Formats: sequence, C-alpha cells, structure tokens
Amino acid sequence: MVNKIKVKNLSCYYNKQCVLNSLNINILQHEILSIIGPANSGKTTFLRTLNRMNDLNVNYSRKGEIYLDNNNIFFMNMESLRKRIGMLFEMPIPLPMSIYDNIVYAPKLLNIVSNKSDQDAMVEKVLKNVSLWNEVKDRLNSSAMKISGGQQQRLCIARILAINPEVILFDEPCSGLDPISTAKVEESMIRLKQKYTIVLVTNNVKQASRVSDKTAFFLMGKLIEINETGKLFISPQKKQTGDYITGRFG
Amino acid sequence: MKKTKNTIIEIIIFMCGTLSVIFVVSIFIFLLKESLGFFREYNILKFITGRNWYPDSNEPSFGIFPMVIGSFLVTFGACIIAVPIGVMAALYISEIAPKYVHDILKFLVELMATIPSVVIGLIGMCTIVPFVKNFFNIPTGLTAFSGSIMLAFMVMPTIVTISEDAIHSVPWKYREGALALGATKWQAIRRIVLKEARPGIIAAIMLGIGRLIGETMAVMMITGNSASIPKSIFSPVRTMTATIAAEMGEVVKCDIHYKALFAVGLVLFIITFIVNFIADFFLGKNK
Repeated sequence: MVNKIKVKNLSCYYNKQCVLNSLNINILQHEILSIIGPANSGKTTFLRTLNRMNDLNVNYSRKGEIYLDNNNIFFMNMESLRKRIGMLFEMPIPLPMSIYDNIVYAPKLLNIVSNKSDQDAMVEKVLKNVSLWNEVKDRLNSSAMKISGGQQQRLCIARILAINPEVILFDEPCSGLDPISTAKVEESMIRLKQKYTIVLVTNNVKQASRVSDKTAFFLMGKLIEINETGKLFISPQKKQTGDYITGRFG
Repeated sequence: MKKTKNTIIEIIIFMCGTLSVIFVVSIFIFLLKESLGFFREYNILKFITGRNWYPDSNEPSFGIFPMVIGSFLVTFGACIIAVPIGVMAALYISEIAPKYVHDILKFLVELMATIPSVVIGLIGMCTIVPFVKNFFNIPTGLTAFSGSIMLAFMVMPTIVTISEDAIHSVPWKYREGALALGATKWQAIRRIVLKEARPGIIAAIMLGIGRLIGETMAVMMITGNSASIPKSIFSPVRTMTATIAAEMGEVVKCDIHYKALFAVGLVLFIITFIVNFIADFFLGKNK
C-alpha cells in the first residue's frame, strides 16, 4: 500500500494557543482512517488543515508539512487542492439551490462536464452511489433545503463524488442524523473506500470501530495512539485510549 | 401596586405605538382631503397627463407630467450611478476587506448618511454644476444629470449599509460549502453569496429609490427647475418635490393652486408608498 498523505511535525495554533502538537501521521491509499477523541482534542482542526479550510481563519497559524502524493499541500493552489481533497461537514450544507444544481455546481466551475447529457448522467451516477437516486429522482429540480437531514448529508457526499476527489474528509458526518440515516452514510463510506482515501473524524467510538481500517486517538492536541482498528479496540497500548474507548471519560 | 404600575407602562407604550400609526394615517387623510378638493375643480386626467404647469396664468393649468418625468429621470440616473458602485462597495466591505478596514469603512459610510441634503446641494452647485457645463459644453450645468450625480452620493450610504447587512447575513457555512468543493472566493461570492443576499440587496435599492424620489433640497438647487418635458438627461428638469417646496410659500391658502400642490404631494406619497412596499416585500423574503 502507498502512503497517500504524510503529515510531518504539524503544529496548529489559534491566537498562538497550541491546539495540535507536532503531529506525525501517514495515511494509506484506500483506507479509512478514523480519528476519535474528546472535544478540544484537535480532530477537526487537523481535518480542516488537510484541505486548508482553516486558512480562511485569520487567527489560525501552523507549522510543519503535509504531503499529498509527495507534494507539499501548503505550496499547492488552494482550489485545486480542495478538488483533490473533498470535505463533508458536520451539519449538512446543501447550497441554496436545487438538488440537481448542488451536484453540477462544482463540476461546472471546474469544467469537468460541459453538455447537458453528461451532466444528467453524472447526477444519476453519483446519486446512485450514495443510494439517494430512488428517493429524489422525481424532484431533482426542487430545492435541496427541503429534503431531510440524512438525505442532505448524502447529497453532500454525492456532490463531493461529482468532482471526483482522491481523498474525502468526513467531519462528524452523522452527529445530527438518526440511526437509519447514519447506517446509510456509513454504508456509502465503506463502498467509497474502493476508490477513495477517507479520513473520518467522529465522536462516536462505535462508528469508528464499525467502518474504519485504522483508528487514531487524539487527546489535548496530541496523537496518543494510532493502530489498526481491530488492535486498537481490543488491546489499546495506552491507558488513556483504553479509558476513552470503554467510556470511562470523554 | 406592582400591577397598576405595569398597566400604566403598558398603556403608555401602547399609546406611543399607536401614535405613529395615527400620524401616518392622518397625514394621508389630510393629503387626500385637499387633493379631492382639487380634483373636484380640475380634471384628474388632465392633472396627470397635462404637459403645462402654469398655476398663475388667467387660465391656470396644472399638468404634472413634466415633473413626474423629471423626478423619474433624476432618480433613474442616480440609480444607474449608485447601484453598481453601492453594491460593489458593500461586497468589498463585507467579503474582502480585512476586519479593521471593514470597521472604518462601515463607520465612514454611515457618517456619510448624516450629511444634510442642503450641504450636498451646496457642494454640488459649486463643483458638479460648473463641471457638467464645461465638460459637456452645454449652456447650463443645472441639469438632470448633475442632480443624478449628487443624489447618487446621497443615496449611496443607504444602499451600501443595507446591502452589506444582507450580504453579511448569508450564513458562513454556504461559503465554506462552496469553497470546499474547489470554488474560488469569487465564484462562491457570485453564485452563492450574491444569490442569497439578492432579496436584501433589492430591498436596499428600493429603499434608496424611495429616498431619492422624496429628496427635495439638493434637486431644487441643482436641477434647474424648468417645468418642461426634458429632451435629454442634460436638460434642466423640475421634480415634484421641488415644485411643492418652491411654490408652497407663495400660494393663497385654500386656493386651487394650494390644493394642486397637495395633489402633487399625494402622487409622491403614493409612489414612495409603492416603492417602500416593494422593499418591505423583499426584506420579508430575506428572513
């Protein structure tokens, strides 16, 4: 397996306060890495650093390097980086337009599709990929704000698939969803693994154990432990990890 | 004791609340009463479509058509100048400017709104009017065009502040959503932010127009006050507001001329009412 993302000595700060402390992680291609840890452990900061969303925050600063296929992402053009590393947010963010337009919005900007029939085909393909096609195929032109939260979240995944990224970041994608919607999103994630590399930040320890190949445990801005999910959950090496996954704190 | 105090305060607040409504309604009734008196003596169609405003001749005629055209011409010209600049400025202040620039600009724009219109008129008279006269080489600089420029300055703060509020209230997450898909900042602004803020921006423009139509002092000083149908934007015009302001002091009370001015006021009132109604409609849509 090849390393898709290499993180070297990454430290992140908000207003000079350190929230991530010299982090080193390698993420393999086509694996799901889940990151667990209590609030304020730096999980989301790490994720938002990976596609440089945090660069929009004026209080944010960082040190260290991240390589995507051996290219330093901090020297890359931000838009093309975000095309390669898609991100799904905690709350579904459908753009205020129709379901159809939500999906073709980015491909049109990036000139991935041009004619209408290609667009139609793409919309159908990505919606089928997230098992949403049957639910919305009759109302593609109605507003994306009107479908349910779970459907919105899957639409957002479909939207990311439409730009065909290499890595997809999930930031607590199921925290606002009911168990059935959660199961559907997890199902899509496992299916997506064949083609994409996935990093999942979750507050739900069980979710991490269900879907991921590898799990990392963050605490107070430090990586405490990273291992294959099976091993980490059965025999954690550090006491804090064990305490967290068995629910003694956090 | 506590209860009576409560009731008294409630009554006072209720009275203050209804008072403003009573004022507006009684102004409207007053306008209507005087205007109806006028329309009994003068045909309403002739009033609206008439091309001559000769209130003092032996056979007086009260045609406000040239004034309506004058008002619209000046307003329209001011909009063409102020809307693009105002909306762009709002975009810059809200989306692009760093925090401290944002604060300074917002303060300055709001300060600009407090300049009295007579001062704007005065400045216009000694700067814009001679400039227009020399630059376009026309007999007088007192034209609809000069009025439009000055009014554009006046209305800019309204458009900028309200548009800025509308743009600012577009949830941050929409920008993030678009950016995370690889959109550039400008693409996110154009397709998402501007689209979402559109009702608010339209409301800002409508409120601006409402203010423009009702503006009196500056237009009276700059537009030349000629009550004839203007040939172009470079001709002198006279607005409805300027007519009322200029002639009200010279009429005999309860004379037909006096009532005619109230009828002009009624027309103005109806126009601004419609414009504000549209603005309210769009503002409501934004929420």
